[in-house]
Amino acid sequence: MFRTLNTNIRIFLQGAYLSYVALFAWIQPAHYLATKVMGPFFYMIFFVLMGAYISGRNDASFYVIGNAMQAAALSGIYGVSMSIDGDRWGGTLIYLFGTPANRLALFLGRAFMHLLDGILGVIIGLVWGVLIFKLDLSQTNFLALALVITTTVFSTAGMGLMLGCLGLITRNVMLVNNTIFFLLLVFSGANVEVSSLPAWAQTISSMVPLTRGIAAARLVIDGQSLAMVWPLLQGEFLVGVIYAAIGFLMFRQFEIIAIRRGTLEAF
Amino acid sequence: MNVIEVSNLRRVYNANVGAIRRSHKEIVAVDGISFHIEGGELFGLLGPNGAGKTTTVKMLTTMLIPTDGSIRILGLDVVRDAKKLRSRIGFIYGGERGLYWRLSGIDNLRYFGSLYHLDPQATRKRIPELLEMVGLSERGEEKVEGYSRGMKQRLHVARALLHDPEVLFLDEPTLGLDPVGARDLRTIIRNLQAENKTILLTTHYMLEADALCQRIAVINKGKIVAEGSPAELKSIVSDLSVIEVEVFGSVDDFLPTLRAQSFVDALSIENREQKQVLLIQSPAGAEAVSPLLGLLAGVRVGKVIVREPTLEDAYIRLVEEDV
Repeated sequence: MFRTLNTNIRIFLQGAYLSYVALFAWIQPAHYLATKVMGPFFYMIFFVLMGAYISGRNDASFYVIGNAMQAAALSGIYGVSMSIDGDRWGGTLIYLFGTPANRLALFLGRAFMHLLDGILGVIIGLVWGVLIFKLDLSQTNFLALALVITTTVFSTAGMGLMLGCLGLITRNVMLVNNTIFFLLLVFSGANVEVSSLPAWAQTISSMVPLTRGIAAARLVIDGQSLAMVWPLLQGEFLVGVIYAAIGFLMFRQFEIIAIRRGTLEAF
Repeated sequence: MNVIEVSNLRRVYNANVGAIRRSHKEIVAVDGISFHIEGGELFGLLGPNGAGKTTTVKMLTTMLIPTDGSIRILGLDVVRDAKKLRSRIGFIYGGERGLYWRLSGIDNLRYFGSLYHLDPQATRKRIPELLEMVGLSERGEEKVEGYSRGMKQRLHVARALLHDPEVLFLDEPTLGLDPVGARDLRTIIRNLQAENKTILLTTHYMLEADALCQRIAVINKGKIVAEGSPAELKSIVSDLSVIEVEVFGSVDDFLPTLRAQSFVDALSIENREQKQVLLIQSPAGAEAVSPLLGLLAGVRVGKVIVREPTLEDAYIRLVEEDV
């Protein structure tokens, strides 16, 4: 039993690192800088300025925190889905399925490095917020904030695992990724108060990752304790688990159906 | 002892045709084939494009479920015991894909080592041995994207051998390789056979099959049309000679007339640079040359050669007969 556990941990860890290096298209320094460092910088400026103009708020922190947290979705959604559907484009999927490797370890390993990368992405976003918009972190419990960030990146990665599986069955998952990313900008509360959305939209908000994480981040940065945001974190974590579970079921079904129908390498 | 037993294997693909009025179509890729391969044997599966070779290999390697029939490898059923079997077989499909190009050769092998449940110590020991065997020792730390096609194919072989499988499936491993690359890979395959691996090889290249395989099955339109040793297959055309006629310009209009002649048993055309070569199998040998040239009146003809038949001629006859 320990031997099996060891083997699966190795599959998870090696897959985490090697799939990140092998399949994450933005890993090149220029790409990384453009998408993960400068991208959040510009859309943060855009939303802060537009938000302040429309709402008349003087306080930029609402938008700064929202958009810094939204950076989690860059890794969670784009990065993770690239690491799942990249195997199909590279022709390695058939060789992966030809091994006796534990599929759960293989599958979850694809998300791990993006989890770390996503945490870094949110920190970069917050640093931009402090440098440019004087985001005040003086009341922040940093341990609580770290937990909020990690949980939020985890939940977006859960959705990324599911979207990556969609990439195994559709030709162009980037189209879906883009749609979801922009959907999150509206429904997650990053730029619009969830409470100001119509009821149907609030239902969507409650079902997507980020919503509870962003709300928790705002509270923690405002000086609230971890206990205060704990229910939000539990909800955010659960959302991530649900999406990851759906993703894994899709992954297993994809393998079974593709081997039955002969569509493993069909596009 | 039979390591691979294939019995009445059939695979039908379902396809939907048409965008608005969609109709359902069934394509029979493999149509009731049976064969067996003994332990330590190198068995060749030959056939033209679309004959069903790759579909057969995919079913043998657990990557496609048969519509009908059964496959047993090392006593295990490929559908029921797929997971157990995967640890005991290795496979490569032709082409450059299937490797992580941004990783080094060593990292590719290391990753697949963990997927095949090799412990890190065994992997560390095995990788240099395999790289040495496939002639990539000096390049193992370089990214695969810088490898030539032949190097990628050799890395594929190393990957397939990581877990020391008893049975190997090589689907057109020399496809697209230059002569030196193909020769190197053939040497590797020969060495693997010397290690008593059971190997199924599919290829388009008759010389390769002749040089490597102990037994060959020719598959066409999903059916096996002949099976035997290279010598046995060559004996199918031992009563014939092959006349090679170089021609310049199109000869398509002449083909029906040529095929209708009693001294023409089989006819095929090969393109060689600016010219075409008619390959005519004939029981009449050199005596057929004169009437043949008479029928090609008006066509610019180059060299004419009469020679003994090869395995390729046997293959052409088998496939043509089936047409």
